[in-house]
Amino acid sequence: MDDIIVKSITRIIIPFVQLYGIFIILHGHVSPGGGFSGGALFGTSLILYTLIFGVDKAQKKFSHRVSEIAESGGILIYLSIGVIGIFTAGYFLSNKAAGFPLGEAGSLLSGGMIPLLMIGVGIKVASTMVTLFHTLIMEERL
Amino acid sequence: MIEQLPILNLLVLLSTALVIPLFKKRTFNMTLWFGFFTLFFVFISSIVLTYHVYVHGAFYYHLGGHAPFLGIELLIDGFATFFTTFVLGLLILIYSYSAGDATEGISEKEYGRYYILLFILLFAMLGIIYTNDLFNIYVFMEILSITTCSIISIKRKKENYTSAFRYVMLNEVGSLSFLFGVALIYMITGFTNIGLVADALPDVWALYPANIILAVGFMVIGIGIKAAIFPFHVWLPDAHASAPSSSSAILSGIVIKVYALIFVKMLFRLYGVDLLTELNIPIILTVTASVGMVLGSMFAMAQKDIKRMLGYSSVAQMGYIVLGISLFSYLGLRAAFFHITSHALLKSALFLSVGAIIYKQKERRINHYDGIGKLMPLSMGVFTIAALGMIGIPITSGFISKYNLGLAALDANQTILIGVLVFSGLLNAMYYLPIIIQAFLKEPKTPVYMIKLEKIPLTMMLPIAILGLAILTLGIYPNLVMNLIDLAVESLGF
Amino acid sequence: MIEFLQMLYDYVNYLGAVALFIIGLHTVVTHSNLIKRIMGINIMGTAVFYFFIAIGNVTGGLPPILTDTPGEYINPLPSVLILTGIVVVVSITVYSLSLVIRIYETYGTIDQDEIAKINERENADD
Repeated sequence: MDDIIVKSITRIIIPFVQLYGIFIILHGHVSPGGGFSGGALFGTSLILYTLIFGVDKAQKKFSHRVSEIAESGGILIYLSIGVIGIFTAGYFLSNKAAGFPLGEAGSLLSGGMIPLLMIGVGIKVASTMVTLFHTLIMEERL
Repeated sequence: MIEQLPILNLLVLLSTALVIPLFKKRTFNMTLWFGFFTLFFVFISSIVLTYHVYVHGAFYYHLGGHAPFLGIELLIDGFATFFTTFVLGLLILIYSYSAGDATEGISEKEYGRYYILLFILLFAMLGIIYTNDLFNIYVFMEILSITTCSIISIKRKKENYTSAFRYVMLNEVGSLSFLFGVALIYMITGFTNIGLVADALPDVWALYPANIILAVGFMVIGIGIKAAIFPFHVWLPDAHASAPSSSSAILSGIVIKVYALIFVKMLFRLYGVDLLTELNIPIILTVTASVGMVLGSMFAMAQKDIKRMLGYSSVAQMGYIVLGISLFSYLGLRAAFFHITSHALLKSALFLSVGAIIYKQKERRINHYDGIGKLMPLSMGVFTIAALGMIGIPITSGFISKYNLGLAALDANQTILIGVLVFSGLLNAMYYLPIIIQAFLKEPKTPVYMIKLEKIPLTMMLPIAILGLAILTLGIYPNLVMNLIDLAVESLGF
Repeated sequence: MIEFLQMLYDYVNYLGAVALFIIGLHTVVTHSNLIKRIMGINIMGTAVFYFFIAIGNVTGGLPPILTDTPGEYINPLPSVLILTGIVVVVSITVYSLSLVIRIYETYGTIDQDEIAKINERENADD
């Protein structure tokens, strides 16, 4: 789209959308939301970028290879945090028993491993949304 | 540490699927070896688990150490360990076959993707067998159905897209019905854990019978669609025929069996015999199974494409399994479990040998199979063994399972079922024997002067030969697995 | 009559969910347009989610977040389960839509009946 208004508004909006996405990911354990919703928001900001500036520029910013690694990496973060529980507490995905500090309920630094898991989920969801959208667009071109 | 093995199995399979896409720059062989090693590790660990359960008895595993009513619970007992070991052993054979024949209809770029799907598929199947939580079963079922659909549609051909679409639509109706059943159960009991629900059901039955009747109906129909139990089989032949041969073997040999296992789990562990007998479920299942056994074979007779014929034959064979289950007795379940094992071997052998023939001769129409036994003695030989097993000729494993089914039917005083079994066996003979006769007694179109072993890669030949041997071994020494099957049946409360 | 209306009022969520489920099933089974069938799946999914949420609801309950004011709160577990369910149905929708794109590319139509006709014509040629 070659519209100066749309382009400049998008440039202004995208950082805020991403910031809000990260906010929701990190506050998943104290308020509604979490990895999935925040990741979806973050992914939407990248989709918005693709819509406005075209898939070529978007591919430069967030290439297929990067999103592939992010997709696998997201789950691998989740799994490796879970595996810590096997060694320290004897159960996969143990939280308090595995030695994660629970903190004070309601504050940002609480909930043990849950915020860490949410980061993994957020990465996975954001990259999957972008990959799906890019694949559908690139498919048309072939 | 042995208690951690089930979750490690699942994690190893999932992370293999995740790591494969990162290998893109490396050669394809490395992916293959990597996958083979993980499969081997998981196979060994499930053998260890089987031994552990055989000696020390079943155990529970709680994810995150949460209590069963809060978190996900895995139940590792004779049932779970036997079937995981069996599925993995069979999958190693099919895996090494697919290393030679992955080319059938898949472009070289897609090889990696095929193996990603294969490992996620295996992850979901193991998860379904291990888990003891209804909602978790639903999630694994959805993972399983998405991966099977993707495996069907990985070949870029027209009919693959349409059959995959039909598969995904019907399967989704099935899993949403199952979820509705789970919701109804959750509404009245407040649990999704199978053990806790089973404890609560007898009390709840008096208060909310409508909920339970609806839940049983939704869940039986939902899993019935996915396991291709007779009236809901329409998606199966197309889907299994159009997939690549090694995946057809997995889909027809293993995946629908896993749905049958969920069916067993749901009937006996969740609802229990008393409640279901009160709702007349055994009779309904017996009737549909008998009709499916006969009609499935009749549909198979009308097919011209050999893989479609094998697909319809699977519908008939699912009838045998459901028949065994529907007797609701120790002997019946034992026969059903043996038939699950035996049919998985037979159908994989059939699909793999047919796959080898298609790989070499590029021919799927049955009436073009004149004299193919002289061109490809090994593949056609194994095909013959497996086809005889399907008919139920002695010294093959098919005979043992039919014998056991007959015994179970006699034990339940249902002599008419013996007639159905014999009639269905005859029908099987009517469409398998002509192919064998055609292949060995007629002259091939291009004359051959000497019988020599066909030139197909060793990685393809070996699994086919092993499957043929396994069918004969199980036919002669059925007690090799019978002990484990007895343990599996006992763990379901018989 | 009043009793019937009262029952209708009491169970309106459950009845609504069942009605939606049946509408969805009808759409999946009878329509020949592939996109409409996918919509039918989505309607069925929504019906089940609606049912789940209705089970967990407590009239006048608070959101299940730790606060200083005590009181009855809504059962969060069904909502959590349904979040997973929504993700699953979304992925099924994406997958089947991509299949529809493929089908449109190869057949030039997204109507089940026309696809069946094209297939029949091609099989007759063999």
